[in-house]
Amino acid sequence: MTLRRLFAFSSLVFLIVLAFSPVKNALRPYRALQRQFRLLGISRATSAKAREMYSSRPIAIEQIWLPELNDHVDRCTTCHLGVADAAMTGAPQPFRTHPPTFHTPQDIQRFGCTACHGGEGLATDQADAHGTSPDATTPIFPTDFVEAGCGRCHDADAVRDAPTLSSGRALMAKSNCFACHKARGHEDFRADAPPLDTLPMKTGAEWLRRWLTDPKAVDANATMPNFQLTGDDIKALSHYLFGRTVPPQLQHAIDLAGAEPPGDSARGKTLFAESRCISCHTVDGKGNGSAPELGKIASRASRGWLVAFVRDPHAFYPQTRMPRYSFTDADVRDIVAWFEDELRDFDAPANILVPLRVNQTFAEKGEKLFKSAGCFACHGGMKEGERFGPDLYGIGEKKATSLDFGKRTDLKRTLPAWLEAKISTPRSFATGLKMPTFAFDAAQKRAIVTALLAIPSTPVPDAYHSAPPQQAAIVPAGAVGEIMSRYRCLSCHQIGSRGGDISTAPLTFEGSKVNRDWLVRYLAVPYSIRPIIAERMPVLKVSKEEAALLADAIAMIYVDPSTPDDPFAGRPASDRDTAEGERLYTTFGCRSCHIIGKNGGYYGPPLTETHARLKPGWVFRFLQNPQRWRADVRCPNYGMTDTDALRLTAYLETLAEAPAPPVPGAGKEAVK
Amino acid sequence: MTTPIEIIDSEDPLANPWRVALVRPDGRPAVHETDERYVMTFPHLILREIIMFQIVVIALSLAAILFNAPLESIANPVETPNPAKAPWYFLGLQELLHYFPPVVAGVVLPGLVGICLVVIPYWRVNLEGAPLWATPSRWKAPTIAASVILLSILFVAFRCWPIVIPTVIIGVAMFAASWARAGSRWQWLWGVTLPEWIMTWFVVIAVVLTVIGTFFRGPGWMWVWPWMDAPRG
Amino acid sequence: MTVGEWVRNTSVYRSVIRHGIAPTNRNRSLIIFENLFLHVHPVKVREKTLRFTHTFWLGGITLATTIILVATGILLMFYYHPSVPQAYRDMKELQYVVDNGVFLRNLHRWAAHLMVFSAFLHMLRVFYHRAYRPPRQFNWVVGVVLLLLTLLLSYTGYLLPWDQLAFWGVSVGTNMAKQAPLVGERVRFFLLGGNIVSENALLRFYVLHCVVLPVALLLLISVHIWRVRKDGGVQGPPDDERRTP
Repeated sequence: MTLRRLFAFSSLVFLIVLAFSPVKNALRPYRALQRQFRLLGISRATSAKAREMYSSRPIAIEQIWLPELNDHVDRCTTCHLGVADAAMTGAPQPFRTHPPTFHTPQDIQRFGCTACHGGEGLATDQADAHGTSPDATTPIFPTDFVEAGCGRCHDADAVRDAPTLSSGRALMAKSNCFACHKARGHEDFRADAPPLDTLPMKTGAEWLRRWLTDPKAVDANATMPNFQLTGDDIKALSHYLFGRTVPPQLQHAIDLAGAEPPGDSARGKTLFAESRCISCHTVDGKGNGSAPELGKIASRASRGWLVAFVRDPHAFYPQTRMPRYSFTDADVRDIVAWFEDELRDFDAPANILVPLRVNQTFAEKGEKLFKSAGCFACHGGMKEGERFGPDLYGIGEKKATSLDFGKRTDLKRTLPAWLEAKISTPRSFATGLKMPTFAFDAAQKRAIVTALLAIPSTPVPDAYHSAPPQQAAIVPAGAVGEIMSRYRCLSCHQIGSRGGDISTAPLTFEGSKVNRDWLVRYLAVPYSIRPIIAERMPVLKVSKEEAALLADAIAMIYVDPSTPDDPFAGRPASDRDTAEGERLYTTFGCRSCHIIGKNGGYYGPPLTETHARLKPGWVFRFLQNPQRWRADVRCPNYGMTDTDALRLTAYLETLAEAPAPPVPGAGKEAVK
Repeated sequence: MTTPIEIIDSEDPLANPWRVALVRPDGRPAVHETDERYVMTFPHLILREIIMFQIVVIALSLAAILFNAPLESIANPVETPNPAKAPWYFLGLQELLHYFPPVVAGVVLPGLVGICLVVIPYWRVNLEGAPLWATPSRWKAPTIAASVILLSILFVAFRCWPIVIPTVIIGVAMFAASWARAGSRWQWLWGVTLPEWIMTWFVVIAVVLTVIGTFFRGPGWMWVWPWMDAPRG
Repeated sequence: MTVGEWVRNTSVYRSVIRHGIAPTNRNRSLIIFENLFLHVHPVKVREKTLRFTHTFWLGGITLATTIILVATGILLMFYYHPSVPQAYRDMKELQYVVDNGVFLRNLHRWAAHLMVFSAFLHMLRVFYHRAYRPPRQFNWVVGVVLLLLTLLLSYTGYLLPWDQLAFWGVSVGTNMAKQAPLVGERVRFFLLGGNIVSENALLRFYVLHCVVLPVALLLLISVHIWRVRKDGGVQGPPDDERRTP
């Protein structure tokens, strides 16, 4: 009979155990949440119909199916029931309405949730959906890096409404990440680090030692990271670099410049200020900071080198962004004289600029190190298409379990934590790692991790892909092209999709914007159009002939076909009502940013000389949509009617200062 | 009418097997005596079978509720996991690959094992169950010693320690068995037959290799300790 | 008259189950030999074969896992498409949408592991008990083939979830097959339906796993058990006493 009792007992256990799974299934958390949501909805409903809608909601898995996004399915709305429900604003999570963004709430059915947020869309329980379990495939992007989701579809370097992502991408390009790492869209990246050929005549062993020890400590604007070289490494590298042959004509130029008599320091100081060098450089931290700090420049480079370099930077450093100013020989001598008087490191030892006597054995060791440490990735010698470091393809989708945490047992086992540690202290993971240390602050790290998390392993399908609109960047050849190259217009100005972003004035449609005669005067002697902006157009000492040539070319080439020459053509005479225009100027509050005469704000450019500077067609189009040419223009879009915009244009056209003297050579120069 | 059935009348017991027992002249008419007790299959066996089945289901269900079957990310031919491991029952073979040329580890050795298993009953292996040291022979000890030493040397040549060490231990145990005395705790060791020694050798090696392959191998099939955080490369 | 008695007196019940319930040996015998499935047993068995240590029930456990695997496997087939990437998606659907889907998949997986393990132990048990002695030689060979089929079933099933584990496990395994002289490459090509583990391989493994191998396994299990019955029931430890020194 014990057998039968045993049988009874085992049958009982058998039935109980088999009931576990169905019970577990019935108690899945989403069911309770949906019941909770039903009650919440009923309590928040404002109409009987809405109440009825909430109470008749079935308990069921909800999903958004995106056939064009690789048959993607998101079931997040199974628990996040109120994402698109305005009645759920401020409701407790998971029911809260999604905060308004560019894509929400209207596009939820088009993008789903995980396309932006990451996470496992198929999952119907929280840990798996959010990816908080250690072996989760795609964890949700933490709030700090939420903009990474934008970058999965948006390829542009600057993505609207995604400042962290945009700054991360910009910072990655600026830090030359792509010089060592391959990444989609950056296959042709070339680092613009200076060539090191003239280093033996430029600086001294002591300065080089300081620089190689920690570039940021020498120059806060340095883009070169810290390679954490040992004393022996630095010694070897120094011998190698000082052992390089200086190209003969540069050597000659430096020697000659060094032999010139000293210049006039006081005049140099004035010239330096007038030329607005700090639109790119800094002096003791003051300035734009996209070019080297000049506060201790005379303890960094020899006099001869500085003089020769400022006279013709392009001969030394072909890819430099620095323009070749039309200084006279004396101008440069004077500026360098001022450097030597004022801009030097007064604490530096006397030998800071004494070159090294080269030892061949060390130099050979240094040459090997130059290769093995990856210096050549930025300083030249990298073969086309080759990269020193690992690829970044798919880094944003790497599983935490496949990452090498090495010695970093202190880190959270997540991809963002790993990435942040990688870019903060790359060598802390194991010995023998080669990635140098960049001195990023917390915000920069966050931005870069965001940009890295945005790199998917496979690009999104075309239906979801948003490539930046590629604007043609026409840079003419011939004489005009040479002038533009000489003055490096593209270092600060954008033309189409090319060019730097120091200036707020892109040149793409400059010909339709400004009057040719005004431009000739401006190029010869630039002045501040928007005084509030620190980066001003440098005084490049452009000659009158060059200015005329350039202005003619701009007027011909950089034209927006949609901007009318005469906006009033074919319009009724009432559209020219300047009195009404003046009234509009007051109504829209233009005064708070713009100056006319003596009154107004400083944010926008003064409008006193509108007639001389701007073409009416451009003013008209600008008033209709100030963000037409540049998305970050702060002038509000008032949605003016054509009539209002024309009247305001007509009013602004009446504003003019005393007529300027005629410019020689206007309209006579041919453009090649 | 029907034809009468032809009845062959024969005295040959082989042609006309109508017998209860055949007693050969040189044998004794004693039948193997069984005083075994028989019980009804139902309920004695059937209930036990059902209980056994229920216990298996209960155990597996509990495992299924407590432990989820592994599921990694979707197959990606580009991203090779390091190490890429076969299912656990093949990890012994994969571990062998670490020591031997692929042909040996992947084909020869498993093939040999398969053939050996099939031929066991036909080669009358171990039918009598005679303990290894029951029949004294002057060649037995030297042959066994030579075999163990030769096998050890062979596997040492391949640096295959997971085979060498069990081989040596089993070899030593075989000789230790010969000294086991009646009534001692090691008496059962004496009773082990040669085929059992060989099978035990095979099982120990298979288990050791599988355990090593499953738990002690990390990236690049390097040795790792399972309780340490495996470095990944 | 209880409900049970009423049910047992209906003509339907009596047409299905012909014997009574009285605990007589006649009824107990009828239970066995009037039932196709129980008929594999004799009406009476030797009492000592019931002892746990007689066989450790290893064959029985292996058979039990086989039954569980067939049952859960058929249920899982309702939710599975042998195509890429749907196969992997189906694993997620099982996990997140199908009622008791995780349980089914887990049960199938763990039962498969237990089957390999218990089949191996069963073989060892038979060896050490010398239960392959005549007249059971052939049944031992059938058992070895069954063990092989078990491994193949487990291996073909390993690919079906189409995750990284499956893909690389099968890649590594089939690369071993490639090493066989002369036929290795061809065997691998034949197994995978190509030179790499691809959707073709998934389909082949699926057909093998769900049709070919299970049918072969069930046939051979029938032979195996039939032979056991014909050879006088389960063979436990040998009767001869181990001699002592």
